[in-house]
Amino acid sequence: MAAIYSLYIINKSGGLIFYKDCGTKGRMDTNDSLRVASLWHSMHAISQQLSPVNGCSGIELLEADTFDLHCFQSLPGTKFFVVCEPGTPHMESLLRYIYELYTDYVLKNPFYEIEMPIRCELFDINLTQAVQSDRVALLGR
Amino acid sequence: MAPVTPRSGDAIFSSIDRVNAELFTLTYGAIVRQLLTDLEEVEEVNNLLDQMGYNIGIRLIDEFLAKSGVSICVDFKETVEMIAKVGFKMFLGVTASVTSWDADGTCCSIILEDNPLAEFVELPDTCQGLYYCNVLSGVIRGALEMVSMKTEVTWTRDVLRGDDAYELQVKLLKQVAEEYLYKDDE
Amino acid sequence: MIGVGKMKQYSNVLDKPLSKGKQEVSLTAFAFLFSELVQYNQTQVDNIAELERRLEDAGYAVGSRVLELLCNREKGNRRETRLLGILSFVHSTVWKVLFGKVADSLEKGTEHEDEYMISEKELLVNRFISIPKDMGTFNCGAFVAGIVKGVLDNAGFPAVVTAHFVPIEGQQRPRTTILIKFADEVLKREARLSQ
Repeated sequence: MAAIYSLYIINKSGGLIFYKDCGTKGRMDTNDSLRVASLWHSMHAISQQLSPVNGCSGIELLEADTFDLHCFQSLPGTKFFVVCEPGTPHMESLLRYIYELYTDYVLKNPFYEIEMPIRCELFDINLTQAVQSDRVALLGR
Repeated sequence: MAPVTPRSGDAIFSSIDRVNAELFTLTYGAIVRQLLTDLEEVEEVNNLLDQMGYNIGIRLIDEFLAKSGVSICVDFKETVEMIAKVGFKMFLGVTASVTSWDADGTCCSIILEDNPLAEFVELPDTCQGLYYCNVLSGVIRGALEMVSMKTEVTWTRDVLRGDDAYELQVKLLKQVAEEYLYKDDE
Repeated sequence: MIGVGKMKQYSNVLDKPLSKGKQEVSLTAFAFLFSELVQYNQTQVDNIAELERRLEDAGYAVGSRVLELLCNREKGNRRETRLLGILSFVHSTVWKVLFGKVADSLEKGTEHEDEYMISEKELLVNRFISIPKDMGTFNCGAFVAGIVKGVLDNAGFPAVVTAHFVPIEGQQRPRTTILIKFADEVLKREARLSQ
């Protein structure tokens, strides 16, 4: 079964506001995860500029030998991305679902300050359920 | 990513979780009462209600986009129409219409046919300067700002003040370009 | 659908017919509004106890109005005069109207004669809320406790009402219990009426 390695959420200015390891592989310490986030933020922006097509919204999928990186950026500018085993299916749906979880359990929480790191128990609980492989398969339908 | 077809306000409203409007109305009333007790001037209450609305708007926009399937807002005109037709329906269950566009398409009016915030409400003599529903103008301003449109939103008609409808004027001040400039992280 | 700008006007809000209470708004709209209520009140207090009290005050204002509204609409201008009657009114009628369902349970306290508990696995107002660790046992259900207090007080059943998280075995999330402690006079009157 294809595995999800990790999940990231970065705010409009490129700051990492959420990071989660989803398995034993590809784990990263805090510094590395921050580095990946800011690097991705820049690459994403550069890709928009480099694109020969007008109105390009940035890289959606990066395929490497050992991993895939799927990215979804909301219109207001928050980026959600997932790093997973090459060829893992349903990642777009998963990202959209995570976006919905974010609108529910992060944005509606009076104790969450916008653009700041996400520490919301309910978001964690729901996210953990969502990335379980059987749930991901359901999202694909 | 495959584009998702935008859904109608009615379709979304009937598919999402809903609550009794009276809980909403009375809770809003409790907020307004607290502000009137805590603050001295009615004008300050107006400002704070608008600020609360703004805070809601900058968060609400994400859900609007996630649930409506709207993925890109082309121009101001289209965006305002979307907010009125889909947004008001999906969040408040009411229909709103857009009228009075000016020639260059940067100013218009949103008219509400119904307003759940104001049910049960009558302004007492001491609060005649109150824009009771000011939270709504803040929501629109906040939501539009998140999609790069700086606006000014003001009440032009208010049933609670003796007018025959609820009417908000939405004026585009500045449309910031999609790409953001690089700046050092704070 | 009513035509644009043809909203019916009443010279006085009292002339307007009372709505049937069937209108709905999205849970989202309510959740964001409630979030603002909590955020605003956080700016007005120095500690958690004050925050609880202020949320309770806001709820009280809702509760007293809900009582009037429901006595008029659902009960033909009658209201309950007995303890169990008013408790079941809160647990069933009020809950159903405000939160769309009857509360999960209504129990009598086992240790104190004057205590009753209404419990809910997931209180509507808490649906999207995670309490930060540094806020300890704080529960936004204080607002709902205020609603209950507002109903009871205005129906002639003064009580102290508080909201608490109660862990449930085998569940990740605790439930919320609204603890109602009636004033002495209420129990004395009840005893008299039972004779």
